Amino acid sequence: MLEEKKMKFNLLNIYNTTKKKDIDKNNINKHIIEEKGNFINANNNLNSNCFKLLLIMIVFISFLIFIPNVYSLGITPGKTTVNYEKGQEINTGGVIQILNNEHKNIEIVLMIKNEVDESIKVFLSENKINLLPSEESKDIKYKLNIPASFDGEPGAHSIDIVALEVPKAKEDGTFVGATVAVVSQLEIYVPYPGKYLDADLNVLDAEQNSTAVFVVPIINRGELGIGEARAIIDVYSNLNQKIDTIQTDYLPVNPGQRTELSAKWNVSVPSGDYLAKVSLFYDGETRNFEKAFSIGTKKLSIESILVNNFQLGEIAKLQILVENRWNKNLENVYANLLVYNKRSDVMADIKSSTESVGALTKKELIAYWDTVGVAEGEYNGKLMVYYDQKSADNNLVLKVSQDSLDIVGVGYAIRPSGGSEGINITTILLVLVILLLIVNLAWFVFFRRIMGSRKAGKK
Amino acid sequence: MVNKKQHLIVIGIQIIFLIGIFIFLYLSYPKANVNVNGNVVGFESINAEYIIISENSDFSNPGYINFSEFKTQTFDLKPGKYYWKASNGIIKGFEKEFEVSSEVGLKIDGEGNETNLVNIGNVKVNVTKEGGVIVGHIILEPEESEKIEDKGEYAGREENEI
Repeated sequence: MLEEKKMKFNLLNIYNTTKKKDIDKNNINKHIIEEKGNFINANNNLNSNCFKLLLIMIVFISFLIFIPNVYSLGITPGKTTVNYEKGQEINTGGVIQILNNEHKNIEIVLMIKNEVDESIKVFLSENKINLLPSEESKDIKYKLNIPASFDGEPGAHSIDIVALEVPKAKEDGTFVGATVAVVSQLEIYVPYPGKYLDADLNVLDAEQNSTAVFVVPIINRGELGIGEARAIIDVYSNLNQKIDTIQTDYLPVNPGQRTELSAKWNVSVPSGDYLAKVSLFYDGETRNFEKAFSIGTKKLSIESILVNNFQLGEIAKLQILVENRWNKNLENVYANLLVYNKRSDVMADIKSSTESVGALTKKELIAYWDTVGVAEGEYNGKLMVYYDQKSADNNLVLKVSQDSLDIVGVGYAIRPSGGSEGINITTILLVLVILLLIVNLAWFVFFRRIMGSRKAGKK
Repeated sequence: MVNKKQHLIVIGIQIIFLIGIFIFLYLSYPKANVNVNGNVVGFESINAEYIIISENSDFSNPGYINFSEFKTQTFDLKPGKYYWKASNGIIKGFEKEFEVSSEVGLKIDGEGNETNLVNIGNVKVNVTKEGGVIVGHIILEPEESEKIEDKGEYAGREENEI
């Protein structure tokens, strides 16, 4: 059986019930604006009309002067990788999406920035587009042609598709202020001759008195496959003293393939900054690099969520208990709970008030969830507690019933390979084919023997 | 005549055996659905016990999503290509893949005398400033912002990561 791992965070099994709460919904987030119909009577005197017109103009001009200068733009994908082999012509294409994140009326100019090689051509379906507030995004098609004559150096070569938001002109036609452009990169990879690995280092769960996971993602950027890649990681303190040496597992890597070498390390050193010196060995070649990492960066943890007197259709009060495990006060701490519906869309985005949490203390953050229109059932959620430009995150499941809200923490954790994962379906089918072959072969041999004995009997 | 009959019996047994095996495989094959919506990835188990997920096609350093408590699991994943298989502890299903698209997004927030550049995308961006006197670089993590000069053109590119 699969050995289940405990989740990263020790979370939440809180069950609470009933009674109406003392919160008056009408006092929360409700602003009712009543409009009274005031019409200008044509018979009103001229002075009154002029005064109103002047007032409207003043308001309009003030709006123009104080309107916030907001430009925003998005593009997806941020990068598209094209693997190129020398002497091979590539004709490919795709779609990029321009995103109107702020739902505004915007004018966008699209450009190609090719500093790689003039022989490489990129064509766009449109060079200028206008997006309406109702339009969330717009698709732009592109075509890429890399001729067989392209003789690029090994490595990555990037051609940029730039989307630039056209700044709004003033009355005199001049443009002021900053503007944004976003880039979708077409990254052409020319393989290195022989064997070559691109590598990085990520250190996960680096907490004091726990087990950290060192992950070395590697990509084979060479022309040849690598039979075995492994890494040795030396951990140094900030005083440049060697603390420990860790060895990763061994893996083969085919050309263009990405894989991850990993190793575990029992953290028995104090919190702080450390340096990892990585030596990567692959088929007799070596590559060295270093990366700094921290132990004990997680300063704040989510301890529990308490929901008192829950009643579906009313406003639920969520008491989120957090603990500051750092030896300094944390300012501006707040919680943000996202609740997803069955289609994984955000159906509720709940924020708590902002608090200060004292050093090595616990504090409750209060958030309110208006459950009007929420049906009974199970919902996935994500709780994020923001502090010091970071966040502590937990995946949750919210079980909503008429008079109770149960919140259970869930998650997924990396665990070492091993244990029973089940048999591959391909293996099962292969065994089946072999079994049938054996049965047929056995039948054939048996049949031949019977035939042989019958022939002998006739003789 | 007897030989032909024997052949037919053997073939018949094999056909029945095959049908039985395929029915068994169909019923016990671990099934799950994936739904990708921006960065949010939702897995729904039909009869799978857990999902094995990795950023690598060889499933090195995998993650495991357990359905023992809940039949659906939703979480955020960083942009990239992901490979996954459903399993029920007996059979591991075929390898499937999905992609979480990277999104480069920038916003200029200008209020009063202060202008801020905000990364509203889902990847780390390398921002270059052009058109002004200074040509500089700013690295912004998702949701991170930095105070900028209110002139020139700020262009954001996805920062290289393996």
